[in-house]
Amino acid sequence: MDDYLRNSLSTMPLFAGLSEATLGRLSRVAFRRTYAPGMLILLEGAPCESVFFIVTGAVRVYRLSPQGRQQILATLGPGQGFNTAPPFLPEGRTPASVEAIGETTVLAIRQEDFVALARTCADFSWAILQDFAAHLLHLTDLVEDLALRSVRGRLARFLLEQADGAYVTRPWTQDEIAAHLGTVRDVVGRALRSLADAGLLRMERGRIVLLDREGLEAEAGA
Amino acid sequence: MMAGVLPQIDLMRCILCGRCVQACPTQAVEMLANGPTIVRPDACTYCTACEAICPVGAITCTFEIVWK
Repeated sequence: MDDYLRNSLSTMPLFAGLSEATLGRLSRVAFRRTYAPGMLILLEGAPCESVFFIVTGAVRVYRLSPQGRQQILATLGPGQGFNTAPPFLPEGRTPASVEAIGETTVLAIRQEDFVALARTCADFSWAILQDFAAHLLHLTDLVEDLALRSVRGRLARFLLEQADGAYVTRPWTQDEIAAHLGTVRDVVGRALRSLADAGLLRMERGRIVLLDREGLEAEAGA
Repeated sequence: MMAGVLPQIDLMRCILCGRCVQACPTQAVEMLANGPTIVRPDACTYCTACEAICPVGAITCTFEIVWK
């Protein structure tokens, strides 16, 4: 048995509750893959072959509009899974493209092995349900953001989440922020300037410094 | 004098169009033999104009998001 696989699996919070027997089965079917920064891991619409769990690094999950505009659905980090839904659907296809942000190592499990584990190991099914629930709540928040908040409000919420370390935190370009917020770079630039003019943040060289939590929370809730 | 962080130019991706040189409001970027280079880092204000104008995404200006 591959000790690296077993150690990687047992240190993931998602799999912390698995029995030794389930961890053993999982480590026999999982395999390791490492992707260079910017490498495409999955392409939207492709047949689902494997599911993935991140060991180190981070990935960007996104969809592209016909005009080429990118909407980032999630930025995922160590311990989080992706492409876990299609195996439960008949002829399920990969729902979104996934790209490595930095060098990223994942554990992959072939679809048929993943389904077999989910059918026969209740503790594994429970862990996957928890992962599904987290994804569902995140996507619910995203729909609320896109449907009900202004770009300025979405930006304020995004900045608070990043500064508070709610998700994977890293330096961002304004294009990447725009892709997260479902808008374009120019609009993000204007929104940043307007928040700066209101005294809620300060733009520095390579840093967006948040100054007023109450003010930003009021913007985020607006 | 400006400190530290500068726009990152990926010369492997750059198509040598020179738009970043024209867009830079402080003439901090020049086109050298191997591609655009920030020859006057002290003049760079990190305004991100070069990143915005680059047609192939070869220039990145990243921002950390932090509390004061």
